[in-house]
Amino acid sequence: MIYDIRHLTLYEYGSTVTFSHCAVRLQPTDGPGQQVLSSELSVTPAPAQTIERICFFGNRLTFLTIETAHRKLIVKVNTSIEIDRPAPIDEKETPAFEAVREEAFASASLDKDSPAHFLHPSRLVPRFEPATAYTRESFLAGRPVLQGATELMRRIKADFKYDTKATVVSTPISEAFGKRHGVCQDFAHIMIAGLRGIGLPAAYISGYLRTIPPPGKKRLEGADAMHAWVSVWCGEAHGWVGLDPTNAMMMGNDHIVLAKGRDYADISPVAGIILGSREQDVDVEVDVVPRA
Amino acid sequence: MSRSATTRVNEDSDAAARVAKLAAGYMPLPGIPDEFIGADGRPRAHWLRFLDKLMEFPADDMSRRFARADRHIRDTGVSYRAYGDTSERAWPLSHVPLLIEAGEWREIAQGIEQRARLLELVLADIYGEGRLIAAGDLPAAAVTGSPEFLHPLHGVKPPGGKFLHIYAADIGRGPDGRWWVLGDRSQAPSGAGYALANRLVLARAFPALYRDMNVERLAPFFEAFRFGLTSMAQRSNPRICLLTPGPFNETYFEQAYLARYLGLLLVEGGDLTMRDGKVHVRTIAGLKRADVIWRRIDSDFADPLELNAKSRLGVPGLVDALREGGVVIANALGSGVLEAPAMMSFMPKLCRTLLGEDLRLPNIATWWCGQGKARDSVIASMDELAIAGAFGNAVPGFASSQPLIGATLSEEEKSRLAAAMAERGIDYAGQEVVNLSTTPVLHEGRLEPRPFVLRVYAAHTPAGWKIMPGGFCRISGRADARAVSMGEGVQSADVWVLADKPVEMVSLLPTDETVRIRRIMGTLPSRAADNLFWLGRYLDRSEATLRLIRCLASRMIESGAGAANPGSAVSKLASLLVAWHAAPLTAVANPMALVASVLHGDEDYGSALSLVRDAQRAASFIRERLSTDTWRLIGDLNRTLAIEMHGPLAEAEAFERADAALRTIAAISGLAQENMIRGAGWRIFDAGRRIERGINTCRFARHFASGDAPADDLDVLLDLVDSQITYRSRYLMGVALNPVRDMVVLDPFNPRSVAFQVERLDEHLETLPLLSDDGMLEPPRRLILQLAAEVATASAPCLDNKTILVFEQCLLGLADAIAARYFLQGSHVARADKSSGLA
Repeated sequence: MIYDIRHLTLYEYGSTVTFSHCAVRLQPTDGPGQQVLSSELSVTPAPAQTIERICFFGNRLTFLTIETAHRKLIVKVNTSIEIDRPAPIDEKETPAFEAVREEAFASASLDKDSPAHFLHPSRLVPRFEPATAYTRESFLAGRPVLQGATELMRRIKADFKYDTKATVVSTPISEAFGKRHGVCQDFAHIMIAGLRGIGLPAAYISGYLRTIPPPGKKRLEGADAMHAWVSVWCGEAHGWVGLDPTNAMMMGNDHIVLAKGRDYADISPVAGIILGSREQDVDVEVDVVPRA
Repeated sequence: MSRSATTRVNEDSDAAARVAKLAAGYMPLPGIPDEFIGADGRPRAHWLRFLDKLMEFPADDMSRRFARADRHIRDTGVSYRAYGDTSERAWPLSHVPLLIEAGEWREIAQGIEQRARLLELVLADIYGEGRLIAAGDLPAAAVTGSPEFLHPLHGVKPPGGKFLHIYAADIGRGPDGRWWVLGDRSQAPSGAGYALANRLVLARAFPALYRDMNVERLAPFFEAFRFGLTSMAQRSNPRICLLTPGPFNETYFEQAYLARYLGLLLVEGGDLTMRDGKVHVRTIAGLKRADVIWRRIDSDFADPLELNAKSRLGVPGLVDALREGGVVIANALGSGVLEAPAMMSFMPKLCRTLLGEDLRLPNIATWWCGQGKARDSVIASMDELAIAGAFGNAVPGFASSQPLIGATLSEEEKSRLAAAMAERGIDYAGQEVVNLSTTPVLHEGRLEPRPFVLRVYAAHTPAGWKIMPGGFCRISGRADARAVSMGEGVQSADVWVLADKPVEMVSLLPTDETVRIRRIMGTLPSRAADNLFWLGRYLDRSEATLRLIRCLASRMIESGAGAANPGSAVSKLASLLVAWHAAPLTAVANPMALVASVLHGDEDYGSALSLVRDAQRAASFIRERLSTDTWRLIGDLNRTLAIEMHGPLAEAEAFERADAALRTIAAISGLAQENMIRGAGWRIFDAGRRIERGINTCRFARHFASGDAPADDLDVLLDLVDSQITYRSRYLMGVALNPVRDMVVLDPFNPRSVAFQVERLDEHLETLPLLSDDGMLEPPRRLILQLAAEVATASAPCLDNKTILVFEQCLLGLADAIAARYFLQGSHVARADKSSGLA
């Protein structure tokens, strides 16, 4: 399946900005089951300097230096990507979670995909015992790691209410967990906290989800947003497996991976300090259109 | 026997008796090594030598010297903040130094040197090739668990080639009496500046004692450290900055002190900006390159773009500048990863692997519980061990911020801990239980043993690691402490490393060939300029307010107390003070209540006390640029005015207090006039004072010399601008409007006139650096030239309130133009809080 993705971010500032540095993570990379056909980034006003880099976790990152005075910053990305994911692995085949844990603890690698990076608390996923206790219920002794993780995913879907108004980017997981509501980012962070809590490596994936229109109706333009889910490490033999707790489904051909990190803070799509501005307003539009 | 010899013997036996008294009852804690009493139960010789010499000072002389040392600390403002403190605390210095003999010191120094070499190699491997990890010598999860392992720095070679430039280790004596390492400080070790301050205080109090004991000097170490930083830069004559988190940091005093001592530019994140892969300081002369940055902020806060996005202390783009090799950072970002307790467990083996040697100074035996075997044995022998958090002080799942002592845990706690370790062993490390060794302190006239930690410093230089002969010693307030951090009851001690032979006086003065002569320090950061300017303005505004008070009080003394007649000079003075927000509107009816409120109140932002506090705050941001005397005088000024009011204030009392405060301000002015180098800093500071004085003098003139002003008002005005005597000698008749206006506004020979301020401002703006050499006037200079021409060509008979108001507004406009040109540099600036409403 080939998708055409249009992602537009618009910042409006309360006062004129004369100089700014920012970092943009809005372009996907090739990976297992996905191949980027084309991807273009355009920024208005035009940056004085643009540096492209692949960050530690393998994501595509663009540093921009803007020296033109402006009150509005527009970041536009057009990407075409082909997705063809392999058949999901049989969860019963995966090793017992205790064995995966010991394997991760003993990891002798600092490569980007090493489980060692995804074992410990991170900025937005602190140690959080209630999520760990919630997770333990799905991991009785000797349970295959993916079976436990899948059950955890389904429980989150069943127990938590999806509510776009309930939380914002900075809402701590304790609040979303306590009130049993939130959006994809909250569910992903909660699931990661629980998995790490019992010693399993878990990563945060940002990306897009194709919205499948109801039969006979036209797809709504701009209704889609960025999505987030979880990747859990199932041991060296099986590697990383994507699980989407918002929809209680395995990552499949409807998921497009944009970036991977320890949590949202590692891969926030546009990072930067806006100098000299008092207030700012952000507007995001995303379209994910499958080619016929 | 001669008479003098007899006296000598008596003094000797007196001293010996006093040593005996001092040491009577001194008992080391059972099983714990002590500095004064050796393993054989006898006092160590060098301690006896020290006590003998100390007791040669007669008792009253000695206590006078100690008192002077304590006063010196308070007066020079040696201070620190405990975490969460709103104000700084005076520095508690033990009167007894920690003494270490030459031979023992050599072992310590060699051990620290070896450890610094080792840690450098470990860091280079972690952020580089990762051989230790691939070979299994260092588990990946023991590295990634540290919040100081910074992914964006992986693969970035530190410009200059070194990760560590200054390293420190906390050491103590183990149960066998040998020194061991308790902790590594590889991020941004603090305390070296306090060690230096302690040395200056104690050496000054007992110069002869210090010399006779052959104490090793600290100065060569600091010189080597500075040379090490300089040698990292790509340019000759590099600009070296000390990056501070700001005055609210616990150790800001030390940072300002070291910046001053080492001749480094003290900067905050907002002073720096990254352009084209290089880092620059925003100065009043535009952007100037920063070659080397000694950071005292934690790595994670150094770059909001790639590290902690919430940080307001760092420089956006700094990590990118490191990739480009455009700036040297000491220590490299991410060096703090080695401070994790988990790291300790691998050091003995890493030392053999990397250096082919055993550790010369052992560290506390540590077992990281991320590995099955180590974990099982820690759980099995929990009773004999302490359990620490693997990556910090906190022990996950337990409220304690310090390692847990296994033997003191309940069965329930032990099984909870074992379960937590089975689930996430990577979070825990088992450690040998540490009891700190003790050193004597003087407590109520006797020596007593107290636990201590000694921090020893190593600086990287082109010729290898240089170890500071001495260190920063923290002594616990309690006899049984297991950990010492600067807080309640803790004191610090100077550390004397005793050489075998007399120590040569080493001067910090470099030789002629290495120094290029220069007369003015070039770089004035915009933020420092901003604070200097506002310090000047606040001081002059306080002065104007105090003059109003003094004048009001003297009129009250003359006219007798009571409510003022409407339209009288007293009531005009009162209404002006209210208009300046120096006192509440309700105070107008009662002049003496108003005076008290203006002097000592802190609710109105224009009160003398509020203004002085604003001045003090502005000064606190630029402390390294002010002389100790100036800082002290500003403190005095605050103390003079910060008085709790009980009952009404008598007129004469008010007059005296205002007068005393004005004398202190005069002393500050005198210091600035006589002692401040005539660089950009002085000019900006003086410009602040001149602008403020010009504005206030215009206001005085409009208020007391309007077209129909009675003689009484003119008399007040002459008082306010201190021109009574000149006026009387120049004009024999009584006060008249035009001569007074001329003297107060237009006379360029009167140092308090508006014209005089304008001339000085023009000189300052002419001398300050330009941003471009195109020969065009910059906006502030254009404004002042216009104003100067108008003032110079005005004449008193034509001078009305409208014209004076134009002058005043012109000065206000000039203040804005100066801020826009010199302070803002088109970006956000960390500024002193300017809630005072001053224009």
